[in-house]
Amino acid sequence: MTDPRAAVVGKRLSGIRRVVAFSSAKGGVGKTLCTVASALAASQAGRRVGILDLDMQGASAHLFLGVRPRLPEEKQGILPLTVRDGLSLMSVAPFTGERGLPLRGSEVSDAILELLAVTMWGSTELLFIDMPPGMAEEMLDLARLVPRMEALVISTPAAVSVSVVERLLSVLKELHVAVPALIANMVQEDSAPVEELARRAGVRTTFAVPLDPSVEEAVGNPSLLASSAAGQALALAMRQLGYL
Amino acid sequence: MHEWALADAVVEAAAAALGDRDPSCLRGVTVLLGELQAIDQEIFTFALETILADKHFPAGIFRLETENAVFGCQSCGKEWDLDAAADLGPEQREAIHFLPESAHAFLRCPSCGSPDYRLQKGRGVSISSLEVVDRKGCV
Repeated sequence: MTDPRAAVVGKRLSGIRRVVAFSSAKGGVGKTLCTVASALAASQAGRRVGILDLDMQGASAHLFLGVRPRLPEEKQGILPLTVRDGLSLMSVAPFTGERGLPLRGSEVSDAILELLAVTMWGSTELLFIDMPPGMAEEMLDLARLVPRMEALVISTPAAVSVSVVERLLSVLKELHVAVPALIANMVQEDSAPVEELARRAGVRTTFAVPLDPSVEEAVGNPSLLASSAAGQALALAMRQLGYL
Repeated sequence: MHEWALADAVVEAAAAALGDRDPSCLRGVTVLLGELQAIDQEIFTFALETILADKHFPAGIFRLETENAVFGCQSCGKEWDLDAAADLGPEQREAIHFLPESAHAFLRCPSCGSPDYRLQKGRGVSISSLEVVDRKGCV
């Protein structure tokens, strides 16, 4: 039995300049916030950006963006939902709404492969992938199917987060996934623990994103999110990384 | 009509198996259509033929077969088929058509109600056999 879908993934993503997985081994460190705010910054700078939310159990990029899930349109494939001009979104939410999606590992892989094989990203230049926590199917499948993918790895300065994320960095190195920078998120005083992690892991750059209480109010309001302190810090990071 | 994207995947997979051999080396491809995804065979066939026209593959090499969906409960061991999902609404069927795994959002084991089950057969589009002959055997 041959699964034909893998043969077409490269073709589906061929027009996209950079594929970036916003990743962390730890939950609750702000992966979705970083993905969405970075995409908003890139979109505001005139780039055509797609967000692929691969968190099957906890898809939430649509909540940050204030997008109501609806079945996608078809055009020789399925079209990501248009958030606004130059910004689009695909996830499981258009299919399942706010229902839970209890999947086992092989089914997660099947769902990822299906979304990669049938989503038509059109003129999208940058694909930002909101990853679930960990280094399971989502990371392993993407590393195999999209070998040019790079990862921006997110950690808070907390010791537990840094320790768990260090394991992810080690695995990413073995998977040959480039890590151009770490993002120290929810920084209250200093980001030194994440900077030290970057030095140990051989990652050149760390960006500090402040803990920003206004983010909670910005959920569902992209303009507010983009103008928040966290949004501004991520916009600067996107510029310095050459994504804009 | 996202059948086009899946037909495209089948053709790309066949082309990858063919490698740098002449298209005439491709002698037969059997495509299995799982019941759960409810692929429109007419659209799928039209898409295949249209995409194939650019690839110079021999005519009539693709055969379509269907496979019934079978679910198996991990909790109580019950096996069931799509007849047990007769009350799915049109939007839910459409969601499953696009992404078969979304069935897990809508269907439960008809025996024990568990959400923990596997789709054992009949998911979506796959290639069950692909026959490529060696270069010297080609036209």
